[in-house]
Amino acid sequence: MSEVERHSYDVVVIGAGGAGLRAAIEARTRGLRTAVVCKSLFGKAHTVMAEGGIAASMGNVNSQDSWKVHFRDTMRGGKFLNHWRMAELHAKEAPDRVWELESWGALFDRTADGRISQRNFGGHEYPRLAHVGDRTGLELIRTLQQQIVALQQQDEREFGDPEARLKVFQECTITRLLTVPDAGSDTGNRITGAFGYWRESGRFTVFDAPAVVLATGGIGKGFKVTSNSWEYTGDGQALALLAGAPLINMEFVQFHPTGMVWPPSVKGILVTESVRGDGGVLLNSEGKRFMFDYIPDVFKEKYAKSEAEGDRWYTDQENNKRPPELLPRDEVARAINSEVKAGRGSPHGGVFLTVVGRMAGGTEEIRRKLPSMYHQFKELADVDITAEAMEVGPTCHYVMGGIAVDPDTAATPGVLGLYAAGEVAGGMHGSNRLGGNSLSDLLVFGRRAGEHAARYAEALGEERREAAPEQIDAAAAEALAPFATESAENPYTVHQELQQTMNDLVGIIRREGEMAEALTRLEELKARAAKAGVEGHRQYNPGWHLALDLRNMLLVCECVARSALERQESRGGHTRDDFPAMSPQWRRVVLACSIADPDAEHLSVTLTRSEAVPMRADLLELFERDELKKYLTDAELPGEDG
Amino acid sequence: MTAVVEETAPGKGHGATAAERDHTLITITLRIRRFNPETDAEPYWQDFKVEADPTERILTAMMKIKAEQDGSLTFRRSCAHGICGSDAMRINGRNRLACKTLVKDLDMAKPITVEAIKGLKLEKDLVVDMDPFMQAYKDVMPFLITSGNEPTRERLQSPEDRERFDDTTKCILCAACTTSCPVFWSDGQYFGPAAIVNAHRFIFDSRDEGAEERLEILNEKEGVWRCRTTFNCTEACPRGIEVTKAIQEVKRALIFRRV
Repeated sequence: MSEVERHSYDVVVIGAGGAGLRAAIEARTRGLRTAVVCKSLFGKAHTVMAEGGIAASMGNVNSQDSWKVHFRDTMRGGKFLNHWRMAELHAKEAPDRVWELESWGALFDRTADGRISQRNFGGHEYPRLAHVGDRTGLELIRTLQQQIVALQQQDEREFGDPEARLKVFQECTITRLLTVPDAGSDTGNRITGAFGYWRESGRFTVFDAPAVVLATGGIGKGFKVTSNSWEYTGDGQALALLAGAPLINMEFVQFHPTGMVWPPSVKGILVTESVRGDGGVLLNSEGKRFMFDYIPDVFKEKYAKSEAEGDRWYTDQENNKRPPELLPRDEVARAINSEVKAGRGSPHGGVFLTVVGRMAGGTEEIRRKLPSMYHQFKELADVDITAEAMEVGPTCHYVMGGIAVDPDTAATPGVLGLYAAGEVAGGMHGSNRLGGNSLSDLLVFGRRAGEHAARYAEALGEERREAAPEQIDAAAAEALAPFATESAENPYTVHQELQQTMNDLVGIIRREGEMAEALTRLEELKARAAKAGVEGHRQYNPGWHLALDLRNMLLVCECVARSALERQESRGGHTRDDFPAMSPQWRRVVLACSIADPDAEHLSVTLTRSEAVPMRADLLELFERDELKKYLTDAELPGEDG
Repeated sequence: MTAVVEETAPGKGHGATAAERDHTLITITLRIRRFNPETDAEPYWQDFKVEADPTERILTAMMKIKAEQDGSLTFRRSCAHGICGSDAMRINGRNRLACKTLVKDLDMAKPITVEAIKGLKLEKDLVVDMDPFMQAYKDVMPFLITSGNEPTRERLQSPEDRERFDDTTKCILCAACTTSCPVFWSDGQYFGPAAIVNAHRFIFDSRDEGAEERLEILNEKEGVWRCRTTFNCTEACPRGIEVTKAIQEVKRALIFRRV
C-alpha cells in the first residue's frame, strides 16, 4: 500500500454547508472528536446563496401558526410524497433550531416589539420565514462558522489546542467512502472512513472514522441552466451509491421559477421568491398577470380569484386569499414554461417579473426590502428593478430526491455508520420543496445526523474496524486514472454535453422518448468520461478535479433519468408530457436507485420499487377528507367518520 | 398598497432597456499573472484572447479560458454572484470580485490585468493562502458573548438596535479590503480591516457583552491604531460596507470607552 496521510476521528462530516456544520457542532458538543471536510474554503458553502429565510412556525407575526399548519403546508407542497415522519419532525423542531441560532448570535430582522420577524413565502399559509434582508443563508453559515470558532477557542483553553475536538479540513475532496463487510447492515457494509485528495497539493489523504455524515448538497451542475454553484456535482449521492446506500425520489428535481435569463453569462442565477412574497407580479408579453390562469384544482380554494383580492392580501391576510404568484414553485415554473411556449414570453425567453409600483414605499422600499436583488440586477444585468421589469425563467435549483435515510436518526439503511442530512438526503420534501424549508431542513436534520452519528461512534467504543489497504490502493488508482489516459477527452467538453443533455431531455417537461435518448447519451458520455485525460501535475489542477467530479455527475444524472422514465405520472418536480395527471397509485411508489456492482469498471444504476410507509392516523386527521381524496387511494383514506 | 400594471406592454412600460443594449461579442485580452510553484521561480504575465459579451463578468471570461485554452488556470470561485466571497482578485490594479466585475466597465481596448490579491502568500496563479486572514478574524472573537441564562425563545432586539450594526454584518470574508490596505501589505501582523469589521459587528450588537474584551484586543499594537484612514478598504468592499467608518467607530469607542 502506498504511503498516505492519515487522520483519525470519531465522526467525519463531509460538506460544510448548513447541515454539515450543524452536524459537526452537535457531534463536538457531545464530546466526540469531529472533522469537517469540505471542497471549498470554510464558510463559502452553497447555503450562503439562500435568500428568503428559514421556515419555522414560531407564530411571531401570526399567532395562529403552529407545527401542524407547517406540516400540512409541507405535505401539500410535496404533493403527499414526502416521508411524513421527516415532515413532522421538521415542522416540530424548526422553531427550536431558529431560536438556537439566535442564541448563537444570528442577526434577524425584528418585529416592532423586538421578536424575530417572519415573512410570507410560496406555499406557506402564514408569514413563517425568519430572515435577515435577503441574505439569510449567508447569516446562517456565518453564525455556524462563528459557533465553531467559539467551540475551538474553548478547546484551546481546555486542551491547549483549538483543533483538539473539532477540525475543519478545507479544500479537500472526498472521492470514496471506505467500508468493510459487516453483517449488521442491509447491504452488509460498515463505514471505516473516507478517502480524498487535497486540492492544493493533489496529495491523497485518508480519514479513519467509524461514522461519516454526508452533507454535500445537490446535483445542479448536471444541468445547463442552474442556480447552483460549482460544488453541486452530486458527490455525496455518488459516494453513498458506491458504498451501497440507495438513493430515492431522484426523479424530483426542482426548477425554481425565477432565474435570471439575460444576459447569457448570468443565466440561471436566482431571483429570490421574496420578490413575489413582497408584492412582485409575473406578467407575460401582453402585460397580463397570467398566474390566475394556472391555479390547479388542488389549490383552487386557497388562492385569490382576482387581482384585486390578491393585492388586498398583502395588507389584510385575514379576509383575503393569497395571489397565485405565491403558488408552490413547481406550479409557477410550469406556468412560465407554458407562457413562453405559447409565444407570450419576454425577448430572451422568459417572462416579466416586476416590483415597479408594487410597494407603497416606492423605490426606497424596494431597495430596503430587496437590497441584494437590487444590486444583483444593477451590477450583473444593468437593470434597475425600481424602474424596469426583470426577465425571469425557470432554473434548476434543488433536488428533492437523495440518499434514503431513517427519518429519526438520519442513518442510511444501507451502510452502518453512514448518515446523511440536508439536500443530499431524500424524503423530507417529497416531490417539491417549499421555499424556506431548506434552511430549516439543514438545521433540524443536520443536528439529528450529528447526534446519531455521535451516539453510534460512542457506543462502538474501541470496537472499530480498520480500513482495508486494498480499498485505499484502489481509490488512489481510480483518482490517478485521468493522468494515465492517452486518448484524452477534454473533461470540460464532456461536462458541457452532459449539461445540455439533461437540460434538453430530462428538464422541466419530460417525455418517454427523450428520456430514453438521454440514457443512451449518458452511456456514451460515461464511456468518454472514462477517457477524460488531464495534463500537468496534481497541484491545484482544476481539469483533474473536474475529471473526477464527472463520475459523480454522470451517476446521479443517470439516477434522475432512469427514475423519471419509470414514473408514469406528473407530480411536483416531475412533469410528464405523456402522463400529465397525478396518480394516487403512483404516490405510494418509492423508486430507489442503487449500483449493482460498485467495483465494476463500468458502473450502472439499477432501479427498485418499494411502497411508501402509510401516514400515521393522527397526522392524517390534520387534513379534511376531501383534500386527502386528491392524493390517496380509496384504500388509504380514513373512514368517513374517522 | 396600490397595484399598478402599466397599460403598455411590460417590456416598454417598465423601460426594459436591457434588451436593447449592445450584445455583440468582442475580443478582449486578459493579461493574467501566472505562477506555478513547481516550475516557476517568479510569477509572470500571460495574455489570453477571449471572445466576450461586454455585459459578461470577468469570471465568465476566465472560465472560458480554463475550459477552452488552458485547463491549468487556477482560481477560486463558488457561488459566482458575489455572496460567497471566493473570487477576490486584483483586476486592473484594484481589488474586486471577478464575478461582479463586468467587462464593459473596464477599458476593453486595452489588456485587462488580473492578478492575485496582495499581502498573502501566493500559492498558484490567483490562489493565495487565506489562513493568516482567517486567523485575524478568529482573533477578534467573532461570536456572541453573553452571560446569564439562555432565553427559552429569542432575545429581544429592537429594529433600531438591530439596524445599528447592519452594515458590518454584510461581510463575506473575501479579503478584498484587507489585501487593499497598504498598512497590511507592509505589516502582515496588522489585524486588517476585515477583522475589525467583524469585531465591530459584535461590539455594536446590543445582545453582546464582550465589547470590552474585543476593544482590548484591538487596542494592541497591531490593532485599529495602525489604520491610516486611506479608504482603500471602503473602496474595495464589494458589499458596499463603509469599512473605514466602522474602523473609526471602533477607535472612537476605544477613546470614549463606550459603545
